[in-house]
Amino acid sequence: MKKLIIIPAYNEQESIKKTVEDIMEKAPHFDYIVINDCSTDKTKEICETEEFNVIHLPVNLGIGGAVQTGYLYAARNGYDIAVQVDGDGQHDPQFLSKMADYMEAEHADMVIGSRFIDKEGFQSSGARRVGIKYFTMLIKLLTGTKITDPTSGLRMVNREIIEFFAEEYPKDYPEPESVVAILRRKKKVLEIPVIMRERSGGVSSISMKKSVYYMIKVSLAILIERIRK
Amino acid sequence: MDIKIQLIVAVIIVIAMGIVVMMIKNKQLELRYALSWFALGVGILILDCFPDLITELANMMGIGTPINMLFFFGFCFSLMVIFVLTVVVSKLTVKVKRLTQEIAMFEEEMKKKLQAKEDCK
Repeated sequence: MKKLIIIPAYNEQESIKKTVEDIMEKAPHFDYIVINDCSTDKTKEICETEEFNVIHLPVNLGIGGAVQTGYLYAARNGYDIAVQVDGDGQHDPQFLSKMADYMEAEHADMVIGSRFIDKEGFQSSGARRVGIKYFTMLIKLLTGTKITDPTSGLRMVNREIIEFFAEEYPKDYPEPESVVAILRRKKKVLEIPVIMRERSGGVSSISMKKSVYYMIKVSLAILIERIRK
Repeated sequence: MDIKIQLIVAVIIVIAMGIVVMMIKNKQLELRYALSWFALGVGILILDCFPDLITELANMMGIGTPINMLFFFGFCFSLMVIFVLTVVVSKLTVKVKRLTQEIAMFEEEMKKKLQAKEDCK
């Protein structure tokens, strides 16, 4: 079983080194690839001097395009499992082998690391939790499946979904939308409790100003995804 | 309508269409996107030569003031062009994204191969 960790990184100079070293130590059975989304800080230089496995995007594509590059890489290099781990140190790599075992045992197509099953660790701010609850409801309403943490960036998929994501992946704020796309194809999506940390550096891609746009865009995207053939 | 203004409009339209043709010749403009501008130019030329057509058309469609019909059609035409442009931009975005990904992956592959070669030496 070839397993790949996809690490999208945009201006993560403070945390990228620690994130990758953490992964090499705690998830030794996984290969990893850093996708440097045309960072304007020292992310590129750090990856080069540390000799990390890295793909540098020549222009900034945003989180969706960067993660999709990872899936494309996984598809071309024959990986059976791919998992997305954010470059900001929020995700603890110790859960990865547990996720992989769970996925194999349950024959799931996608396993999401959820903060809200055991309600342990960093729970995100109040306003964000309300937003996440709303997406959980919307997805439940449209697909009948309850996903407690649809915005979680920690998600593992099998070969079939890798190939699907390599072809089709939303451009920005892709997480909830892509879960709906998977559910609609009658794939098995499961969640597993994980503990997330507060980001160790950089800033979240969703600021207060952008959150209104985020809510509207993702809601619309989910609705349109639902009526697609 | 005064023959003077008719002439001025006709000259402007002919010059504008000449510029469009030049731009297509110099490959600054794609022919397929220029077609709508040609259609617009020809339409204005026809209306310019036979201004009575405007009044007749407006009467036929039940529009009281003929000039309103022109404004309305002009507005619709602009909206159509803008909409087509957003469709084109959407398609381009997808293409640029895939190209970027391919270039990045190719570069990484090359780097790996070069390294393997150097390790052999």
